[in-house]
Amino acid sequence: MPVRVVDSSAPSQVSGANPSHTSPPACTLLSVGQAFSGTQNVSSLQKDEAWRVNVRIQGCDLDHGYLCGTMEALNVPMADTPVVTFWEGEIVDMKNYTFFTGKWEATSEVDTRHWTKFPSFSPLLSQVEVDGGRSLDLSNYPYIFMRWKEQYFVNVGTDCGLTIAGFYYVCFSCSDGSINGFYYDPNSSPFQKLELKVTNEGRSGFSFSSYELQ
Amino acid sequence: MPASASASARLPEDLITRLSSATDDGEAKLMALRELKNQIIGSRTKKLSYVKLGAVPSVVSILADGSSNSLLVQSAAAIGSFACGFDAGVKAVLDAGAFPHLFSLISHSNDKVVDARAHSLKIIYQSKLAPKYDFFQERNMKFLLSLLNSENENVTGLGESIITHSCETSIEQKALSDAGALERLVDLLGGSLCQRDASLESLPPQSHNPGSVSTKDRYPQTRLLACMCLIVVRNTSPSYLQDVGTKTKLILILLELLDGPGLVGDEAAFSFSSLIAEKEDLQKLVFEANVVLNLVTDLLNHDSANVRAAACICLRSVSCSVKNLSAGSFMNEVIVLPLIKLLHGSSTYVQVAALGVISNIVVNFTTPKSAFMQCGGVKQLAQLSKSMESTVRVNAVWALRNLMFLKDHRCKEEIFLELTASTLASLICDPEPSVQEQALGLVRNLVHGCIDSVEYVFADDALILHAVGRQLQTASKAEVLIEQPPPLTLSLPTTLHTSQLRHHPHSSWAYSPTLDASITTTTVAIMPTSILASSYVPISLPASSTLATSTTFVTPFTPTMSTSTITHAFAVKAVPTTTAVSQCLP
Repeated sequence: MPVRVVDSSAPSQVSGANPSHTSPPACTLLSVGQAFSGTQNVSSLQKDEAWRVNVRIQGCDLDHGYLCGTMEALNVPMADTPVVTFWEGEIVDMKNYTFFTGKWEATSEVDTRHWTKFPSFSPLLSQVEVDGGRSLDLSNYPYIFMRWKEQYFVNVGTDCGLTIAGFYYVCFSCSDGSINGFYYDPNSSPFQKLELKVTNEGRSGFSFSSYELQ
Repeated sequence: MPASASASARLPEDLITRLSSATDDGEAKLMALRELKNQIIGSRTKKLSYVKLGAVPSVVSILADGSSNSLLVQSAAAIGSFACGFDAGVKAVLDAGAFPHLFSLISHSNDKVVDARAHSLKIIYQSKLAPKYDFFQERNMKFLLSLLNSENENVTGLGESIITHSCETSIEQKALSDAGALERLVDLLGGSLCQRDASLESLPPQSHNPGSVSTKDRYPQTRLLACMCLIVVRNTSPSYLQDVGTKTKLILILLELLDGPGLVGDEAAFSFSSLIAEKEDLQKLVFEANVVLNLVTDLLNHDSANVRAAACICLRSVSCSVKNLSAGSFMNEVIVLPLIKLLHGSSTYVQVAALGVISNIVVNFTTPKSAFMQCGGVKQLAQLSKSMESTVRVNAVWALRNLMFLKDHRCKEEIFLELTASTLASLICDPEPSVQEQALGLVRNLVHGCIDSVEYVFADDALILHAVGRQLQTASKAEVLIEQPPPLTLSLPTTLHTSQLRHHPHSSWAYSPTLDASITTTTVAIMPTSILASSYVPISLPASSTLATSTTFVTPFTPTMSTSTITHAFAVKAVPTTTAVSQCLP
């Protein structure tokens, strides 16, 4: 489990005691129902390959640093239909989750190697190296860093020849809703890049529907 | 049976005389034993009266000296019958010294004798009065293992009963584990299954009838006992049985046994609850096995209204998870049909409970048209949204709102036609704020999506739009300062026509470039008035201009409506009308 930062050791740069300051910026494009589309580069030494990918956010709980949704891979060679997986995300908010994964076979070196692939991470690197980024206040940072871990296949069996053993290091841009990610699985080709753009699915603008569970 | 009918006419004293007669008339004794057995079976009163008359020692002496296998079988059976579910009987049996006789003949050459004795011992071991088995004596452990290794199901069952009864401490568990008894128990779990499957497969197809099931029926008891042993072991010493495979196997077998006939099914339920009580890892496994879901779903059809309501509440809890919902386990006819049926019922609390589950499970991320709609649930929801009971109304509208979430145009139309614009408009203005809130959420989901969806609010002379407008007006009139509620933001379509906003008397908009979190969307913020006064500049909107992206509006927060009511009202009010985009703000 990642280190859960208790309130007493909350980022030092945060002024006042309002815990909502430690939450990431509430970005309207990171909300329930929002769709994204793009590609995942799965190239290996043998061949160049990219799968088309659609993502939809299905649940979001910023207070707990939680996000979930589905990911649909469209032109997967060994599958007859698009392969849909359900994933759960951890938002690096320094309250619930830090930059260090602490599980899923990811050491802090692996974490750093992946986070530094995002240009938007470089201003944070030195502080992360000092104290794991605990003193950082990301509440107004224009990027949201996350880890997305696929939990299960929605529409195919586990015998489909595909694996969801790894997870994604994700960087979301609050300004344009674009998402970049790198897939990490010690047994798959390294640094498979996920690139997604926000989509309004043919609507004339952005609007948001909502649901509420009880 | 004719035999028992004639026997019952005799006096008990007479029967006992015949049992204890010194003559060697085996046939007469056998008859007497059978009569006794038939009389006491299932009757505590008879058992007690025969115990008082001293019948048990007579039976035990036949058990000890029986000259024929039939006498041995019948005396063992009679002893078992005295002990079954009757502590005074167990005490009498033990006092009469039956225990060693039963044990000594477990290795008898006749299978029927062995069966009968093992069965009686098992019954005795179900009582707390049975002496504790000493696992630390090497001789005892060897004997126990020989029982577990037996090919006779009754004998292995006895071994398991002994462990269930007597294994209480972790030292005893360790002793059992070291001697290989646990391993054997795990084998028995799987072995019995295989044996059963093998026995079924070996039966010719024509014998697959209720009669042949009796072969099958002998096994569940053993499997249940093996499960119970392992549960006892695990509950006292969790360090054993950590293997996920074994745990899952235990769960699956118990579940299968739950469907079993009579006593086994009932006992399996208790074993099951003792297995998973307060153990989150096991509960998780159970949920993954879809077990809870199947069990609870069955209860939706239960005779008792309270049970049906409880099943709904349980389903509502497990469906309150996006992860579970996305797996698609809820949206099928097995669950949906009984739920819709419950909506037709007469009791309000069952209806409300059913609506609670429905409102969760209709949030469907995977398929465009849900099984719920295909089963005709919308009509019933529309009906209940007009209920006189506000709790029914709010839950029905809640379900419709969630059902409308991310639906395609065709589904929306189907729901809208059933609900009608006038019903929706009156729900928006419902006396209950909670109903208003859900109704506005419903409208918000209705207009979300393609441009055609927006048309709904203009239907019937813009009935819905005006209802939403009235809500906004109410909110603006009752402006009261609230202490620091958290700001809420939501996005609106990128192109907004301000004339739509302007023709409303409500004009206290404010603009803040600082709150803007995303450049490409327009954000409306509902802010507390205190913040509003200090950080936001009120603006008046230019007539007939279109608002561009990157615009934030702020309106005073009022306590008369919940924040989400206002949020929904805004989302609806600012519908996209033109495609023209022009920068209009300072």
